[in-house]
Amino acid sequence: MMSTPLQLLPDALNASFKIVPAIMVSGMLLLFLGIGYAFRVADTEDLWVAGRSIGNVENGMAIGANWMSAASYLGMAALIALSGYYGLAFVVGWSTGYFVLLIFMAAQMRRFGKYTAPDFVGDRFNSDTARAIGALTTILIGFVYSVGQARGMGLVGIYVFGGDYATMVILMMGITVGYLALSGMLGATKNMAVQYVILIVAFLAGLYAVGYTQGYSTFLPQIEYGAMLGSLNSEFTEPFSGSGYYLWIATAFSLIVGTCGLPHVLVRFYTVESERTARWSTVWGLFFICLLYLSAPAFAAFGTDLYAKNVGPVYGANGMSGAEGDVIVVLASQLANLPTWFVGLVAAGGIAAAIATTAGLFIAASSAAAHDIYTNIVNPDATQRQQLIVGRITIIVLGAIVTVTALDPPALVGELVALAFSLAGLVLFPMFFLGLWWENANRQGALAGMTTGLIIWTAAVFNELILATEAGPLVPAYAEVFPAVGAALAGTPLVFAVTIGVSLATDEPPERIKQIVRQCHSPEPMGQQQSAEDIVDAKRGNYPADD
Amino acid sequence: MTDNNSQGETTIRDNETDGGIQARRQGVNYLDAQINIFKPSTPFMRDHLKIVWTMFVAWAIIVFGPVTATFLAPGVMTSITVLGFPLHYLLTAIGAPSGALILSFMYARKRDQLDHEYGIDHSTKQPTSDTETVVSDGGADQ
Repeated sequence: MMSTPLQLLPDALNASFKIVPAIMVSGMLLLFLGIGYAFRVADTEDLWVAGRSIGNVENGMAIGANWMSAASYLGMAALIALSGYYGLAFVVGWSTGYFVLLIFMAAQMRRFGKYTAPDFVGDRFNSDTARAIGALTTILIGFVYSVGQARGMGLVGIYVFGGDYATMVILMMGITVGYLALSGMLGATKNMAVQYVILIVAFLAGLYAVGYTQGYSTFLPQIEYGAMLGSLNSEFTEPFSGSGYYLWIATAFSLIVGTCGLPHVLVRFYTVESERTARWSTVWGLFFICLLYLSAPAFAAFGTDLYAKNVGPVYGANGMSGAEGDVIVVLASQLANLPTWFVGLVAAGGIAAAIATTAGLFIAASSAAAHDIYTNIVNPDATQRQQLIVGRITIIVLGAIVTVTALDPPALVGELVALAFSLAGLVLFPMFFLGLWWENANRQGALAGMTTGLIIWTAAVFNELILATEAGPLVPAYAEVFPAVGAALAGTPLVFAVTIGVSLATDEPPERIKQIVRQCHSPEPMGQQQSAEDIVDAKRGNYPADD
Repeated sequence: MTDNNSQGETTIRDNETDGGIQARRQGVNYLDAQINIFKPSTPFMRDHLKIVWTMFVAWAIIVFGPVTATFLAPGVMTSITVLGFPLHYLLTAIGAPSGALILSFMYARKRDQLDHEYGIDHSTKQPTSDTETVVSDGGADQ
């Protein structure tokens, strides 16, 4: 679980300043800034939901780019290489969850029509406290998730620019924050399509080039790597060698429900023109995601084999370090003796992936702070200008905290990101799911459920990562049932039970709220700019919302 | 994931008897139709949830089936080789993600058909863009 000291970083990786890759990466970053500037925003509607004007494939690509962070681009191959069959729990969890999102939530969320995840929780449960918990959770998710991205960007940055890890983390985070403060969501969404193209081209080009030059594969490395699995160390494929069945299921389950609870994923459904677009862009998004997810195990297999041949044993005490694992995609390209500019392209893809996701997360966090906490709770008369300022300050402060934490991250890129998923799965997913599918879920139930979820997650993280000793978790029995990356398997049903129980024991929610829920499921089409609330209020004859 | 949900039985009975037959064509007031995932109260929801649950079960088998089979019968799953892969690896690494993608596509298609059956058209509500009808092949306006 713990990473090796980062000073020992990539011996095998030729970490020094490389002129061509440096120009490529700088050019790419300038391009992002340029697009961000060209589509810069002046009002909050544009900042957060891009004026609800994004179409199918473009939104699908944005879903893909937003989704595929350094954890997918770098971290997943690392987990597959280092943890074998257990690593596949991440492939499965991070891709198949989209189906659950599609059938249960995408279109209903679009019909609900609110800006942010905390907005949903606050309006659905009619409670500013619920809104505040939702906002804090969103910010916490953005924080944990981004630490993983910063680590990935830092490690890849070393390869391209030389220098040390700390400088690279600070530089990369500086660029991300500057870009976001300039552009906002519209620029970010336009960028995401570009970023998706860069990252998928870089990843697939890397995979094909490594496979072809090393004689592993020709046209379909995603299938052809099967033939070499037998020649790899048996730890690569052996089931449950390092970690058991329960942990596998718990991890996959947490990632699946986390997918359905992640604020920066859900916000993508508010940016589309209709609920039908919400559905089809989910399908497109999953397609774009699968392109990379089916390729990552192949890349991991190639990298593992090259490492064993050129560097040393992959597994065991002197095996591959966590930091080497986290750049195995870049490392494999280098060990295959591909030209420097080409390795630079693969590295650039990793940076694009990290920046796109960090952008999405920071936007979700900044709107949580500006919109949900500041405007709804602190200062109801806030002007747009004040909201923008609060949003931008949040981005800068969050960027600074993430940077400091990433200087000594407690886990691998993929594991850090998985922590954010188990948090989303524990706290937000049950609220979204019950909120949309059971009209009698009420305020008291939601508050009790969210609190339960937060406690379970915080305890798991402290138990396993922060207070853990050399010997392992503080309370091993708790870690058995609630492993930090998989706490949702046992935890989410518990949160459901608490929410349902408390809702049944207290008063039903007001009729107006019930009607808003019903409107989310009505098959009748809605206007592009309408939310469920608008329609219900219009039909009720604009009764004041007195409850 | 699904918890037992002990909500009163009476409410749906009412809804079912008066909403079942003519509602298909006209006149369901969706703002009065109770929402409970286990008790669909309108014909549309019933038809929709039938699709949702059927496909959800298929999804659960595709996602958790391979790993469970590997846990129960490790010898069989690891010794069978397909395309060079041990079977458990193939079904998990390739089967589950592609299966979910195919199911997603099928669901979106089915849901479009259902909308068509109920005469629902998501494309004409707003006069702002005429290109919305071709949105399925990627109409990205603006």
